[in-house]
Amino acid sequence: MQIQYKPRRGWLGTIFQIEILQGMNLTLKRLFSKPITRQYPDERPQVCAGFRGQHALVRDAATGDSTCVGCMRCVAVCPSRCIQIRTHRDPKAGNRRVIDDYRIEAPRCVYCGFCEEVCPVNAIVLTKVFEYSRFERPSLLFTKEQLLDNWDRFVSQPDSQADGYLNPFWRPRGLAEGDLPAPKRLPVPSEWSGEQQVVGRLWRQHLPPGHV
Amino acid sequence: MSRPLMQHLEVPVPDGEGERYSLRMGPQHPATHGVLRVDLELDGETILACMPQVGYLHRGIEKLAESRTYAQGLILTDRLDYIAAMANNVGYCVAVERLLSISVPLRAKYIRTMVAEMSRICSHLLWLATHALDIGAMTVFLYCFREREILLDLFEELCGARLTFSYPRIGGVRQDVTAGFISELQRFLDIFPSKMEEYETLIDTNRIWLKRTVGVGKVTGEEALALGLTGACLRGSGIDYDIRKHQPYDAYGLVDFEVPLGRDGDIYARYRCRMEELHQSARIIQQCIDQLPPGPIVGPDAPDLVMPAKASPRIAAGATTYGAGLIKLIRDRGPYLAGDIYVATEVPKGELGFYFISDGSSRPYRMHIRSPSFIHIGAMAAIAKGGLVADLIANIGSLDIVLGESDR
Repeated sequence: MQIQYKPRRGWLGTIFQIEILQGMNLTLKRLFSKPITRQYPDERPQVCAGFRGQHALVRDAATGDSTCVGCMRCVAVCPSRCIQIRTHRDPKAGNRRVIDDYRIEAPRCVYCGFCEEVCPVNAIVLTKVFEYSRFERPSLLFTKEQLLDNWDRFVSQPDSQADGYLNPFWRPRGLAEGDLPAPKRLPVPSEWSGEQQVVGRLWRQHLPPGHV
Repeated sequence: MSRPLMQHLEVPVPDGEGERYSLRMGPQHPATHGVLRVDLELDGETILACMPQVGYLHRGIEKLAESRTYAQGLILTDRLDYIAAMANNVGYCVAVERLLSISVPLRAKYIRTMVAEMSRICSHLLWLATHALDIGAMTVFLYCFREREILLDLFEELCGARLTFSYPRIGGVRQDVTAGFISELQRFLDIFPSKMEEYETLIDTNRIWLKRTVGVGKVTGEEALALGLTGACLRGSGIDYDIRKHQPYDAYGLVDFEVPLGRDGDIYARYRCRMEELHQSARIIQQCIDQLPPGPIVGPDAPDLVMPAKASPRIAAGATTYGAGLIKLIRDRGPYLAGDIYVATEVPKGELGFYFISDGSSRPYRMHIRSPSFIHIGAMAAIAKGGLVADLIANIGSLDIVLGESDR
């Protein structure tokens, strides 16, 4: 397709500078419409569900501790290798693994959300909190206690829905339930679980040959 | 007269009265779109020689990818062309899928095409904004960012990030689209043509704009091919080459769109090509919305991040089913074929190619990125020579370079 060049302007347009006046007219009209600027510190932005912000470990309401089982999947999947977990075996509790410490180096994190996706028990989460910059680097090396505190601070926010909180990366939208481990089969609306997908109105007519 | 920067170049000595001198433009110059330094040899205001210097933003992405699994390497592509990260993600995934022979379900293909085109609109809007700002049109800059903000909000709703998306995954996408997302996107598409008219009203026939762009930075078709230009820079010179059309990947073979071609190969032709591409991208997104089929979003043989429970019989049997592949990817036991592959995709800047050499393990032995920006910067020396310094600014803007991609 050949692109269309705009036609040359006539001598009237050249003298009266019509195209400049048109541009001025457009900006003049904007002068009387509502401004679209968001006055950030005064006006809080709407953060979407599933925003990948500050890290937190979910505090279990029953035990008051993290639900992490120390399976090391987040450590294995982390592309920037910023997660460190120290564990020991507890002979009293059937020799199961207990985590001593869970550390995240926030300055190294790339916020991909892979850790919350692979976590089989939904223990780690990237919250909606995005304002946590510090002047000192060591204060961004989160320990387990700090990560649990991050969760407390997140759920104490007015719009966080602490009870029914569900992160889209804990149970990715559109994945079949059979593909998920049991703790990740959380109850979700039918659109989220993939049973009722949004489809285009013309999809039947445009199926490629050989597609079933 | 200062020491000449480029003794190794054969710079003709001018006959005129003007004084010959060297000038370093950048790397902190606002019109170089990042950290590009251009060493200039000038006679008055005429450029005798121009030597772009890159590498200020080098992070060793190609080397980093060698120590990451294919699934983890995805996040590195976010940092290539950070203006259109989604197109880079899609290109990487397409390349890895061809290398490992992984199939993608049709729904995921349509979603990927949709988000890649949204990314193209984002990138072209930012290009138009900064290019116009370099030349002196402040208003367009603000108007373009207004529309780009809508798309960034949509991306945030879809995948939780505004710039570094990591949204596609090898063998599909990470999250399904929602009805709310589709209706918001439809609303954007409805208002977008009127916004396009606004930009065109402001600069399309503006005499200052025309003086700065028409006939400046001319590249003929043969020159463009010889310099290795791709994308709108090549199509502005009248060469019909678009990977989306000629080697379709994802759902590009199933949607209807046209490739805009210029004639003169000057800055104005490239500008018109990109403006027309914005219309075509909106058209592709509209078709993707209309044709979006139902079905799974991740293929059955996709190496995925979500692992099934350990006792799953599918893993025990060693079958290459969903989830089993990831364990192979993570634990370095990939049964993949050794070999190499070059896969090119059309990103907003031009042809982005990934060249993988696989030794059969879960990590690439070598990943090379053919980034369009790097090659366009290389072409700058030939295009800017003989012009004015002010035209060099217009040329940098018109070539649409991103230093994150160039320096990698």
